[in-house]
Amino acid sequence: MSLVNYATREITCKIVYYGPGRSGKTTNLHYIYGQVPSDRKGRMVSLATQTDRTLFFDFLPLDLGTISGFTTKMQLYTVPGQVYYQTTRKLVLQGADGVVFVADSQARQLEENIESLQDLHANLAEHGIDARLVPLVLQYNKQNLPPELILDMPAMEEALNFRNVPAFAADALHGPGVFETLRGISELVLRRLSGATSSTPSATSGSAVGVDAGRR
Amino acid sequence: MTIAVVEPWVEAPLRHFVQDAQVTLALLLTPSGQVLGQHGFTRAVDVMAACALAAAIHASSSELGKMLEGKPFAGLHHAGATRQIFLAPAETRRGTLLCLTVFDDATSIGIVQLYFDELRGRLEAGAPGARTPPTGVLADTFEQDLNRNLTLLFRR
Repeated sequence: MSLVNYATREITCKIVYYGPGRSGKTTNLHYIYGQVPSDRKGRMVSLATQTDRTLFFDFLPLDLGTISGFTTKMQLYTVPGQVYYQTTRKLVLQGADGVVFVADSQARQLEENIESLQDLHANLAEHGIDARLVPLVLQYNKQNLPPELILDMPAMEEALNFRNVPAFAADALHGPGVFETLRGISELVLRRLSGATSSTPSATSGSAVGVDAGRR
Repeated sequence: MTIAVVEPWVEAPLRHFVQDAQVTLALLLTPSGQVLGQHGFTRAVDVMAACALAAAIHASSSELGKMLEGKPFAGLHHAGATRQIFLAPAETRRGTLLCLTVFDDATSIGIVQLYFDELRGRLEAGAPGARTPPTGVLADTFEQDLNRNLTLLFRR
């Protein structure tokens, strides 16, 4: 649940990047960290293995500036994607105000994406959270890879987006789609704190934002 | 002494604890890593990182405790060369809160634990009921501010 400090007019929200192993969750945070000026971010904390696989989580605190008179801070977390870190994923997911599901667009990773999405729903349920109500956006990462290796946006939508939530194509390594994804989830999370509880998110499902810019 | 709090009801218990136990840093947080109050930190971003790590330590040590003893450990103490940390949960009507504290040789783990028990009691006595999700905090037009700030943040 978002923390609101009325005395200092501060809002703090927790956003968790979820998804299968090697889908690009940590890469999203690294890109954001590299782009944001130092006075608007904290130290990026990574609890990783010796081979730089996420062991517990990555954490990046971000100052989004003043929104409707409130200083707004986002705490970005990633979970370890590998199947056997199930307990850890559940712990990191605790108290999440919003979730970014980072899917790997490679065709051979489809099964892992589906399993991870099911795992997300199961973990939310264990925390007593209705998966249909939690702010969620999908990111189809690695859309810059050669077309013969990946599923395109409509195919990814068909396979994963049964809730019809905002979805973004991305190339997290080079940046396209990372910003749009963060904006999408921030908007959904903050909408819960606004009076506009019933309006439709402006993020566009199925948009292929900036993917061509990252195509090599 | 500077105490910063998100929720006013934690200020007095935290102030008493810091004064009595003579600790150098103290953090009150939720198990999901959200800060409720702090003493001794100078940068907000350091507080957030410390909270994330404290929540992670608590979560993993609790799971380890359940595996080994069938229940979470009551607290955790690390002793460094010059500074020590103590991390323990407190049950309140607001749910479980965690307290992370750092201290040096001006005090001792025994003193810290003694006053932590008092802190726990004060939090339990002073906690209001369960928190309801905040709503109506931001104006309907918040998207304009959000888009402007994110654009500036990413220099687009």
